[in-house]
Amino acid sequence: MKNLHFDKVIVERGSEASPIYYKMRRSLAHLPFKIVDTLALDNTAIAHGDRFGTAKRTLYLTRHKGDFFKKCPGSEGQVCCNYFVINFASNCPMDCSYCYLQEYLADNSALKIFSNVYDLIDEADRMLTRHRGVFFRVGTGEITDSLALEPYTGMMGELIPYFAEQPNVLLELKTKSDRVESLFDLDPKGRVVVGWSMNPQRVIELDEHGTASLTERLNAARLCQEAGYRLGFHFDPMIEYPGWETDYQSMLEQTFATVDWRKLSWLSLGVLRQTPALKRTMRERFPSSALLAGEQVLCPDGKMRYFQPLRVEMYRKMVHWIRRAAPTVKIYLCMESRQVWEQVFGFAPACEKELGNQMAPGVEQPIHA
Amino acid sequence: MSTSAIRDYAKAKGFNRQTLDRWLGWQAADQDALEEIASSLKIGENHLRDMMDWLEEIALRDGAKIHEILARPAVFSIKTDPRLGRADKLKRIKEQLRRWRFPRLAGIEESIRIKIRSLKLPPEIRLGVPAGLEGGRLQVEFSAGSVAELGKLAQRLSEAASTSLAAEIFDLLAGRTRENERGQS
Repeated sequence: MKNLHFDKVIVERGSEASPIYYKMRRSLAHLPFKIVDTLALDNTAIAHGDRFGTAKRTLYLTRHKGDFFKKCPGSEGQVCCNYFVINFASNCPMDCSYCYLQEYLADNSALKIFSNVYDLIDEADRMLTRHRGVFFRVGTGEITDSLALEPYTGMMGELIPYFAEQPNVLLELKTKSDRVESLFDLDPKGRVVVGWSMNPQRVIELDEHGTASLTERLNAARLCQEAGYRLGFHFDPMIEYPGWETDYQSMLEQTFATVDWRKLSWLSLGVLRQTPALKRTMRERFPSSALLAGEQVLCPDGKMRYFQPLRVEMYRKMVHWIRRAAPTVKIYLCMESRQVWEQVFGFAPACEKELGNQMAPGVEQPIHA
Repeated sequence: MSTSAIRDYAKAKGFNRQTLDRWLGWQAADQDALEEIASSLKIGENHLRDMMDWLEEIALRDGAKIHEILARPAVFSIKTDPRLGRADKLKRIKEQLRRWRFPRLAGIEESIRIKIRSLKLPPEIRLGVPAGLEGGRLQVEFSAGSVAELGKLAQRLSEAASTSLAAEIFDLLAGRTRENERGQS
């Protein structure tokens, strides 16, 4: 993966005592650091051109004032996998053409890292302690990449030791990077899943700008597995194009040849999703992306997806190819309706808890065998 | 043609600034080709935006120019058909563009329509599918004026449900075709 390039770091006063600050001072020593009393995060200050892309070049270190621990919003009317999210940063240094953050963070696109990591841990501790009977699957990759900034922030050195000790949680670090070196000094104690968002190399080159290559992701996954981390793979967003079957089969073969599928925590499948507003942004920022020309239709939840028979066919093929190599691995669909679940698997989870509980460690029955 | 003609048209129709800017961002030949159709059919902003979306995306996918797409014989014959009024021409041109933009979706929709017709159900029973085939369910609507008629229609529907045509309709809705099944072997 190519190095990320930043122009400067802006630090909100009060964040200098954070361990994240110390790590950033060391790892980004070549960059100017400016300490300010108040952050001016309004991206309209970026005069013209690609405001969203330009915002990725300045790192902000600031305290997060709201809640860290939230239920994943999912998508209206779709089967939910009972996922929780913790946001230790906002926005992503990489630049996928389909990224929903282009719309979600359009007016708040500053690349922020939150310095008050101990507040995050306190909040998580209150939640996990209060509900010891509940199993939590918690991800950090909702509005940022979980690991892309890790060499600069050392965030995982703070989070993993805490989560590794909790009996009722799996912490998932979702990434398109290969920045895993710092994880090897930590003991995840079976409580940490490193999850890769996966696509064939062709899609990575065309639409996942600045991310690790397929081979780099898989090599990083293998190293994590060897270091005792659980693994997850998210074949999401799946992209349909002439020849996609060959590329996706090949990617799956490469995946199962690199890691031990018997130790995978889960695989998820999801097709490309866009809101009409995101599509307008994509037209402006990536006008030649072929993703704009897929046969997508507007679904009842306001997102555009490949029309149902097409995406059901895609899911069914993927499940077939996966099952051929990994017969009992857990597979679930991300943001899909009950009808689609039924057409793909022949059943839909009765409720979100059923699906969430299937992901708990020790539950070895496959979601779909 | 000139950009002033497009500006005048957009102003007269009260178009949003973004729509006008997008149109004016096209190459001159593409601008003119759309302007010719828009003026002659008096196309409003929502219809025009749909057409712009589809035209840009067909052009991107096929590596074609927008004015070339609008000059294809299928569009030309609709534009020049003396039997069609303005609204019908617009409707048919949009249908044609949608077929080009969503060829497989349109193909499945058409296959389902043909199979529904082949079931030869009485007009009191209407079968249909949702927009974009989303939901994967066949919509059934029927009306009856008496218990006897209701029974008769239910019988016809039941007979239709047991035919291979009905099974094929549901296979299409579920993305299941013989070709796909072969692809998974």
